[in-house]
Amino acid sequence: MPFPSPPRTLLGPRRRSLLASAAGAALLVGCSTDGDDSESTGGSQSAAERARARAATDSEDLLRRYDATLAAHPTLTERLSPLRAEVVRHVTAFGGNGSTPSATPSATATASPSASAVPATANDALSDLAAAERSLADRRAKALLDLPGELARLLASVAAAGAAHAYLLTEGAK
Amino acid sequence: MSEEKAAELTALQAALAAEHAAVYGYGVVGGRIREGRRTEAKAAYDAHRARRDALVREVRDLGGKPVAASAAYALPFPVPDSATAVRLAAELEERVAGVYSDLVRASTGGLRGTATEALREAAVRAVRWRGGSVPFPGLAERAATPTASVTPTA
Repeated sequence: MPFPSPPRTLLGPRRRSLLASAAGAALLVGCSTDGDDSESTGGSQSAAERARARAATDSEDLLRRYDATLAAHPTLTERLSPLRAEVVRHVTAFGGNGSTPSATPSATATASPSASAVPATANDALSDLAAAERSLADRRAKALLDLPGELARLLASVAAAGAAHAYLLTEGAK
Repeated sequence: MSEEKAAELTALQAALAAEHAAVYGYGVVGGRIREGRRTEAKAAYDAHRARRDALVREVRDLGGKPVAASAAYALPFPVPDSATAVRLAAELEERVAGVYSDLVRASTGGLRGTATEALREAAVRAVRWRGGSVPFPGLAERAATPTASVTPTA
């Protein structure tokens, strides 16, 4: 197969660290919720705030889906708990309340899925959850195009995490 | 060149440098990884080559001179076998995810869309190699130990 074998000269004067500059990304910490939004990449401050609130609500809705699935299929607890914990971190990263009780009415028009909406079999429930993760990730990938840079970066990361969740939810179901 | 364009070009070059390193790194991975995962490694290698070539064009379009690959790279740890090759692959993807999240921030329009897609692909590949997810792929400042996992297939 045409897979090149690596050069043997890993040590040498031209050696460069493969993973050198990951630290450069750490200069900007998270995203701010206040008004230091001097970035040029489009969108007014209020539009950005709305987008952030929307992102929090979306993640809260997703969190309720996880909870409904867990309530209907307790056998999935071990599988879903780590992913659910990451969704909680997404909610708080967008300024939402990660401990939202499921009784809290959703701010969006889309109704929160109730336990009765969860498929009867665990595999179908996982597929549904994967589809929800994937469609939200797709929606976020489009929404972030018009947002200020730092919020776009956060949203892109969370969308990538959602796509990874969808992979994990479907992969083990086979 | 405007400040925004300069920042975009800087982020593009960083992404290109990371893809050069990923292509090199996957060469190492391909030489060490066990047969059962070689196809997956080859697919990732091809994906990174394609991204690299696209970034070269993007840099030129912005009037820049694309950064070249190094003759050799220092690996972050020794890679004597398949298990360490898988670990290297996961690291390569995390590194790439980091530069693409920065490119998302620095860019607009179509380039930002491309960076978003590349970040997502890197995050999914990282999960495949690692066997578990992280809450914020590509965001070094929010990095933590993996919190989710499935049975490793490595």
